[in-house]
Amino acid sequence: MREPAPRSYRAPSTALVPAVELRGLVKTYDEGELSVPVLRGIDLCIEPGEFVSLRGPSGSGKSTLLNILGCLDRPTAGRYVLGGTDVSALTREEQAWVRLHHIGFVFQSFHLLPDATAAENVVLPLFYAGVRRAERERRARELLERVGLAHRFDHVPSRLSGGERQRVAIARALACRPRLLLADEPTGALDSRTGASILELLLDLHRRERLTIVLVTHDPGVAEAASRRIFMRDGRIEDDARA
Amino acid sequence: MAARVLRRHPGRTLLTVLGLAIGVGAFIAMVSFAEGARRSVVRQFETLGTNLLRVRPGSRARAEGVRPAMPLSDADVRLLRREATTLALVVPVARRTLAVTTEAGRVHRTRVDGTEPDYARIAGLRFAAGGMFDATDLGTSNRVCVLGVTVARALFGERDPLGERVRIGPALPARVVGVVAAQGRTTTGSDLDDFVLVPRTTFALFLGATEGYSSLEVRPRSAALFEAARHELTTLLRRSHGLGPAEPDDFTLWSPEDTIRAAEETSRILGALLAAIAAISLLVGGIGIMNIQLVSVSERTHEIGIRAAIGGSPAQILRQFLAEALLLALVGATAGVLLGVGSSWIVAHAMQWPPSVSWRVVALSAGFGTVVGVLFGYVPARRAARLDPIVALRRE
Repeated sequence: MREPAPRSYRAPSTALVPAVELRGLVKTYDEGELSVPVLRGIDLCIEPGEFVSLRGPSGSGKSTLLNILGCLDRPTAGRYVLGGTDVSALTREEQAWVRLHHIGFVFQSFHLLPDATAAENVVLPLFYAGVRRAERERRARELLERVGLAHRFDHVPSRLSGGERQRVAIARALACRPRLLLADEPTGALDSRTGASILELLLDLHRRERLTIVLVTHDPGVAEAASRRIFMRDGRIEDDARA
Repeated sequence: MAARVLRRHPGRTLLTVLGLAIGVGAFIAMVSFAEGARRSVVRQFETLGTNLLRVRPGSRARAEGVRPAMPLSDADVRLLRREATTLALVVPVARRTLAVTTEAGRVHRTRVDGTEPDYARIAGLRFAAGGMFDATDLGTSNRVCVLGVTVARALFGERDPLGERVRIGPALPARVVGVVAAQGRTTTGSDLDDFVLVPRTTFALFLGATEGYSSLEVRPRSAALFEAARHELTTLLRRSHGLGPAEPDDFTLWSPEDTIRAAEETSRILGALLAAIAAISLLVGGIGIMNIQLVSVSERTHEIGIRAAIGGSPAQILRQFLAEALLLALVGATAGVLLGVGSSWIVAHAMQWPPSVSWRVVALSAGFGTVVGVLFGYVPARRAARLDPIVALRRE
């Protein structure tokens, strides 16, 4: 189960290599005879350390774009280069490896394992990365401390508040020290005050650790917090504004 | 981790494990039962000595026109003793079932055999007290008898029967000169110690003539001459009975060898049959594992989605579900071994069979059970590994 990371992947990305580079990205879904276009040619370059918000009406393709950015899905056409490596046509095993080592996910509904404690949830990626138990334990404390939940170490998700669950999920996303954090409506299931504190945590990670973040949201207020705001419509980027 | 998942549904896990455990246990038990029964039969007849032939009157053939059996007579015995070159001993046995009474009035009905002193040698009798009547007793029709331990106990309890007087049937008062050590029971449960032996001459004089002997016990000169002895015995008896070449034998030859061979054949077929049935139940146990793992995979689709999304690879997820199936199979196989060995031991003990659980069978069934569990666990595990994380995450 141990998978030593190839050094080339681990190399710190310099400003010369974009964190994310999309060229002519197209995604269509085959519905029987019909093929439904969802992404109609996306060109996008995200520099390391950028905080990008992604907005758009339902069906504009932002979730599909996020799935492709997260190596959960493959583009029908076009290229996706992540940290200098083309990841457009990886096998499922390779996709899993890239997700594990380079991408952190934060979801609207947290997606924590209900039977596992906060600590166990946080270190699940480390389990798949083949990190030993003692090291996992140490990392769990460190990560939970980072998101301000050191005192919730042994709690199962059902005993945590919504905000606390999202913090656990963020800690889990950081477990393998990814270069890219993808957040799909991370505040969507939270009340505005808790949502604001989660957003604050993400901003803090972005500022202090130069983490590249792509955040999908409906909330213009949340989108405002990002240093770069992209608006999508009908599978195309309609607006791309830097603050 | 696999263990914790299985503990989440203890009832379901228990039932799954039970299915496989019964399969493995049944396999061990069935094979052991068949083997125990075989060994028990073999042991019983081996104590009789394999170098033994028994002649009974009457034909095995029940064809139309076969004339009534000619009794086994003194003339047959004399002819055999005079002419046979391959036979060491020929001992006639006359038999009736009679009541035996003590002077104190205790009564026990048993089989009374009139025979000769050599019977003790040919039947391999060992004596708990006294000994066999001798040639003088035979020559002078002495009123003496030898008791099996069942008869001795029934008539005298814990008291020493040596020298005591009993009345056999209505007319024979006899003195007890020996008690034969316990021989146990046959596989079918009949008591080997329920008999009385008296000299053949005494039998004829006091208990009335039976129509010939009920059997002749014959020992060949050596085990090597067994088949020759069987052939000579047949030839001489046919001559003695004046049978024409076309007529079937009017007597039947039997040897412990025949029974052992038959028992081995029977138990071989029985064993194979039982093992086949048990193997089917093992298979059913494996299907149980597959079923429960399929349910588990579909119930845990969302969990699998999470694991896949955060970077668990298809191979790792496959391994996780295989590990669960393996754990189920191992627990089931272990429980099955305990179940099978335990029940074999209890049955062997109750039937007084020699212990016959072979470790080869235990290893085979436990191994087979584990392999079945993992093989059937593979299908659900592969299904889990092939789930699309995006689709799986959407399922709650």
